[in-house]
This record gives sequence, structure tokens and C-alpha cells, in this order.
Amino acid sequence: MKLQKALSYSPRADFIVEVIQMVSGLLLVLFLWTHMLFVASILIGSNAFNSLSLFMEKNYLLPAAIVFLVLVGGAHIGAVIRRIPSRWAEQKIVWKHAKLIHHADTWSWLFQSVTGAAILALAIIHIAVVTYGGIDVIYSSGRIKHGFLVFYAVLLLLAEYHASVGLYRIFVKWGWVKRHKLHWVLGVISVLTVGIGATVLWIFFTMGVHA
Amino acid sequence: MIERELTFRIMRYNPDEPEKKPHLQEFHLTEEPGMSLFVVLNKLREEQDPTLRFDFVCRASICGSCGMLVNGRPTLACKTLTKDLPDVTTLLPLPVFKLLGDLSVDTGVWFRDMSFRTESWVHTDETFDPDAPEKRMDNAVALEIYEAERCIECGCCIGGCATANIKPDFIGAAGVNRVARFMVDPRDKRTEREYFEVVGNEDGVFGCIGLMACDDNCPVGVPLRDQLAYVRRKMASAGWRYQKV
Repeated sequence: MKLQKALSYSPRADFIVEVIQMVSGLLLVLFLWTHMLFVASILIGSNAFNSLSLFMEKNYLLPAAIVFLVLVGGAHIGAVIRRIPSRWAEQKIVWKHAKLIHHADTWSWLFQSVTGAAILALAIIHIAVVTYGGIDVIYSSGRIKHGFLVFYAVLLLLAEYHASVGLYRIFVKWGWVKRHKLHWVLGVISVLTVGIGATVLWIFFTMGVHA
Repeated sequence: MIERELTFRIMRYNPDEPEKKPHLQEFHLTEEPGMSLFVVLNKLREEQDPTLRFDFVCRASICGSCGMLVNGRPTLACKTLTKDLPDVTTLLPLPVFKLLGDLSVDTGVWFRDMSFRTESWVHTDETFDPDAPEKRMDNAVALEIYEAERCIECGCCIGGCATANIKPDFIGAAGVNRVARFMVDPRDKRTEREYFEVVGNEDGVFGCIGLMACDDNCPVGVPLRDQLAYVRRKMASAGWRYQKV
């Protein structure tokens, strides 16, 4: 062992970071799905959506969600950043490697890091807009009508893709489920989530048209 | 059957002539019934270019020396039949390992280093008595050990692994599979903690990001995903209970 390694020796560090990555990822997926269910309240009606939003505002659930996202999202980013090849030479190797070996799961990992970075940027905008713009049927539909439709459609697809691939990876790594069964289950969940999200977006968009 | 004219684009590179950049050279030959890449490469060397370098020993997927990228996929050349290939096939040497020339790589140095680092020998303080009858092992355990030992060290799992391609110290599926073999072995007296210090880190099982190209490409079908998950779970439990001495 070399001195610099002996001085900084912490045998559990890699294990702990791995656990942080997994737990924070799972919490974020849980958040995403809860979020989708909450916005889906518009499917019941405008009143349901507005009263849910009012309830969350009154009980400080919105700032709580932001604190949660900063802490858990921050932990997730801190943990996964070690996986993303940071040097240009390494980036070149992994992209060439993926093109060379024709392997779907290798591609999905590259997309995972790309979507992760994109989600970070889009989610910050989304949170800022929602915090300052407020959550309410009229505000939300107005936003979606006036320019944010594509933004939300992209964020929805990216988030669902990232979450689904991340979940797949966790189950594959720990060996809990058969792989093709996993593909199937996650595929169904993704289609449902994207379906709900798209429907909600469409409802808001048409509402915005009439308003 | 109409005989196909096959094209092979083979990487040519000689480390002794660094001024010549690596390039793909095209070869053509007529397909024959039952033809494998072993036959193709030997024919090319005998009839077209005696300087072509590649490795073969057993031509029966036992020795593990002919691992290469066949149209990008890491596999053994000897068990690849031309009838399963398109008209044009690209052959590249395995990445990660030291390139000796053309399709020939040195897997031996890598595997020896991995063996040392994973301490691939039975750790025991029992003194060996050559006259005593050998201790019997439960059949199920023996089979489990044998499953891991089927690895022929061809390096396909390493060449196909994105992590191994960028992290030179990562022991890969071959290394983790090796550790799994000793974990199952009742003669090995290493504690979970001792194993943890060897593989419970980024160079070991926690360096795996779960792309499973190893599992998808293993030419002898070692259940690498199960082995990786087995070691990961064991090391997680060791990490959880790990206490500072």
C-alpha cells in the first residue's frame, strides 16, 4: 500500500456511496410517481386539482418537497457523478465502445447519464417556474398553453426513462428479478406513467386554449 | 447451396512498427460448409498473408485464447461459424488487454494480476497432510464451485465491459466470479470482512454498474450476473456489519 492510500484508507467508503446512490435513486423514483399521481388529480376535475394544491400549500408540503429534492437529488448527483467519465479521453472511449459492441444495456447507461444531466437542468427550471408561478388550474394550463407544452413533454419522457433504467439497473445488479421479466414490468409502468403524464398535459393544454 | 464470397475486415497493427497506424485490411474467401472463424483465419494466413497474427490453441472453446470482437461482439473465434455471419465481417482484437499485434492480445498478464489482487488461492491455516484421506465435499457445493471454475479466462467479459475499458484496476466479472468461487469453497477460511477488503470497493464488485455485457457475451455461459449479484449481496452484508478495529 502507498502512503497516500494508507492515510486516507476508508474501506467502507465505496460501499456507502453505492448505498446512497441506490437509496436516493429509489426515493426520487417514489417522488416522481407520487408527483404523477398528484398532477393526475386533474383527471377527476379542476376542483380536485386546486384543493390538492391548496392543501399542499397550507401544510408547507411544497417547500418540504423542494428541501427533499435538494437533499436527496443532491445526494444522488453526488453519488452518480463518480460513475460518469469525467475526462474527454474516457468519454471518447465509452461512446466508441457502445457503438462497437452493439449492446442495448450499454447504450441505455450512456442515455442514463445524458438524461440525468438534462433532467437536472430542466427540473431546476420547472421548480423555479412552479414556485414563482404558483400551482393552480388556471396558472398551470396557461403555462402549458403558452410555450411550456414541449418543455413538459420532454421532461416527462426524460424523467420516466431515467427512472425506469435506474430501477432496472438496481434490480439487475442485486439480482432480485429475472431480466426479461423486469424489462416487461418496467415497460408497462413507463407506458402508464407517460400515458398519465401525456393525458394531464393534454387536458391542461386544451384548458389553456379555452381560457 | 450457393457458395458465398465472404469479406473479412481485419485489424492490422504491429506494435513494433508504430509508424504504421492501426487499419482494417480486407480479405476475401469462399465459404465452406461448417466453416468456423478458426478455419477462416488459418486459411487466410496460409494462403493470403503469412504475417497475420491471431491466437488459437484448442479450437474447441476450452483454452480461451481466441477471444476477439466479431462485428463488435466479444466472443470466441473458434465457436463462431461463418453461416451465422453476414457477408462482411469485421474482426478486432479484444480491448483492455495488451495488444500484441493484429488480433492477438495478452490476457495472461491481466489475469495473473487479477489473481494476485483477489488472492485466488485457498486461505487456510490447516497444515496439509499428504497421507491423510482427502476431506469429502458436499456434491452441491462442489458443483457450485465448478460452475464458477468453468471460466476459461478468454477475457470476453472484460473486453465487453464499459467500466473495465476505462478503469484499469477494475477486476470485472472474471475477477468477481473468481472471488465467488472461493467464497463458496468451505476450505477457504477467509472471513467476510477479509473478502470485503479485497472486493468490497470500486475496483471490485461495487465498481460494477450493471450493464451486464459480461453476462450477455460469456462464450461458455458462466452465470456472471448471478455471480456478481451473489458477491454484491455478500459484500453488502459484510459492509453493513463492518466495524472499525
